[in-house]
Amino acid sequence: MKRRYEDVSLTWIPVLIVAIFLLPFMLKGMTFSYKYYLFVLNMAGIYIILTVGLDLLSGYTGLISLGHSAFLAIGAYTSAILVDQVGIPFILSLFISPLIVGLFGLLIGFPALRITGMYLGLTTMGFGFIVKRLIIAFRVWTQGAGGLEVSHPVILGFSFNSDWDNYYLIFTCAIIAVIAGRRIGKSKIGRALMAIRDSEQAAEATGVHLAKYKMLVFFISGLFAGVAGVLFAHTSHFISTDHFDILLSIYFIIMVLVGGASSIYGAVLGTLFIVLLDFLFVPQLKEVIQGMFNIESGDIQSLLFGLIMFLFIIFHPTGLYGMWLKMKIYWKLFPFNPKKRLI
Amino acid sequence: MKKIIGIFIVIGLLVNGCGKGTSSPGITEDTILIGNIQDLSGPMKELGALLPSGSNLYFDYVNENGGVHGRQIKMIVEDHSYNPQKAVAAAKKLIEKDQVFCLYHVIGTSPCEALRPILAESGVPLIAPATQSGSMSDMSRQAADLIFHTDTGYDKQTRILVDNILSKNANAKIGIIYQDDDYGENVLKGTAIAEEKAGISVQREAYQRGATDFAGQVANLMKGGVTDVIIAGIVKEPIIVMKTAVAMGYAPNFYGTSPTMDHRISLAAGSAGEGFTSVNFASLWNSDAPSALLYNELCEKAGIPAKMKGMYHFYGFITAQVLVEGLERTGKFPTRTRLVNALETFKNWDGGAFPPITYNQNDHAGTESVILVQVTDGVQNVISDWIE
Repeated sequence: MKRRYEDVSLTWIPVLIVAIFLLPFMLKGMTFSYKYYLFVLNMAGIYIILTVGLDLLSGYTGLISLGHSAFLAIGAYTSAILVDQVGIPFILSLFISPLIVGLFGLLIGFPALRITGMYLGLTTMGFGFIVKRLIIAFRVWTQGAGGLEVSHPVILGFSFNSDWDNYYLIFTCAIIAVIAGRRIGKSKIGRALMAIRDSEQAAEATGVHLAKYKMLVFFISGLFAGVAGVLFAHTSHFISTDHFDILLSIYFIIMVLVGGASSIYGAVLGTLFIVLLDFLFVPQLKEVIQGMFNIESGDIQSLLFGLIMFLFIIFHPTGLYGMWLKMKIYWKLFPFNPKKRLI
Repeated sequence: MKKIIGIFIVIGLLVNGCGKGTSSPGITEDTILIGNIQDLSGPMKELGALLPSGSNLYFDYVNENGGVHGRQIKMIVEDHSYNPQKAVAAAKKLIEKDQVFCLYHVIGTSPCEALRPILAESGVPLIAPATQSGSMSDMSRQAADLIFHTDTGYDKQTRILVDNILSKNANAKIGIIYQDDDYGENVLKGTAIAEEKAGISVQREAYQRGATDFAGQVANLMKGGVTDVIIAGIVKEPIIVMKTAVAMGYAPNFYGTSPTMDHRISLAAGSAGEGFTSVNFASLWNSDAPSALLYNELCEKAGIPAKMKGMYHFYGFITAQVLVEGLERTGKFPTRTRLVNALETFKNWDGGAFPPITYNQNDHAGTESVILVQVTDGVQNVISDWIE
């Protein structure tokens, strides 16, 4: 019997993991401001965990969510309360908090059984607003809108006190998330989710239980967002309602779309692309663009993101991962260019 | 033996640089580099343009006059869009990549709160955070020894306003319209203290940041028989609230916290804004206070457009004066620790706009008092001395 990954070369994965492990050392050797780059990478790592889950929901299943910053917030606040106020160890919270977020995912999954598209997007957006109000209302635990200080992650007595330590914690979780996301995507569940996305009627006719799988994917997506939330809270050390606004949810959608929906690697690429663009390249481009056009520096980021979204949707809807696959096929068939062959 | 010990001490001092001062990040032979984080693309973007411009007006003046101990002040401004996570990223960039000497005038309570762990880790001082939240001068919090506040907190402002209302009318029924965020949180803290002190109950009406419709809140205050309304908003909120009240035939006395001190409020609210009383933690930009006179002279010289001049532009200017005074006191060989120590020597320092500022190891609040400013015939007039 043919095994699942028989056709795929997986030799590059250990190389990539070693490269991820060595990256901080390389950065330290290259620049004195390596701590800043590590911080940016840590943020990307946390967002990767979340966008992998969002990709399963929006990319694989076609269910739009504009409430993922709220899932992130629930994970962050739950863990902060569990660890700092209830007193449970961080490692336990890393498992319990995502489960709680997953249950909130199930809650949102209910309306998804009856509504889709724009209406689901608006429902999830409404969920985001409700969560924000609830955080303010439960000020006894959350300190309201004033924000909450959160402790460092501590695992088996080791305290993750710096961006360097956090990097290894975050990217260990990110690698596990990507592997888990890939496994789910390639499994029976993944195939059922894609069938639902392509045609609900056809999926149901072939025996896919719509309600079960829709609820399940919301739960799974909540789990991923929960893990991201736990890491977000304990590596940021401070959380407030201002961290989790609607714009962040839109950024997550942009990350998935730019990377290429319904591809886990695409979610990773898209997240890295957007975060690095936002924190490393836009600041470099700001002065150039400001010199060329009379635009306020604050508007340049919105302008660039809008432009990128527009260009990807119009010219490359399969995203960065689609681009990579095309390049791979082109290279494989070289010198027999597939486009020329079609002509 | 004594000679040898003496030689070792001298070598030790030289190695440590104690004799001449160690070189600190952000300090070169001719420059002091400071970092500022503003909201250039978020809900407070309007202020994000004004505050650094006001600060640069004073830095340019200082630089033209030889700088601070021969060093020119250079300020890098980053954007946080009022998102604490972006504020952290911007601070990391300023500290790690740009190697600034200190952070200055970072806007917003939650962005400033989010910076505490970085300040504690890096030892970088934050001078004059651009928020009147009382939490900034809470010495029990993380990195409190590195944060030097210049403004009287919202909690104290609210308490002073309630006291003032009750001193005029002991039977006043007070209501408050507050922004449901970190700003409002601090205002509510002051409200609770005032309620307990006076044995009264204040009617609370919340609104979300960015709201443009206050009919519901005004109707509730009207229904509750409120005679005096405190508006804890920024610029557009008091204008809309007061105009809505007029449209609904409701005429209580209106008061505002310091962010509502902008002179554009009286211009835009027109007759609805007559009698509006707000508090401020500094002298007015168009008054005859020494800083205000210098500010107006420099604005004219630099050709600052009239629409930029005002409370917020002036706020950037006067906090820059505090920073420059701190840098002057730090001496010719500045380090971050020396800056902190120098600021802690402020004792009733009168810069010409703020009430006298005092800092010490146990108190980084700077000021505790406010003045009351009332709109009469469309013009803002100071109607009190400094009140604590």
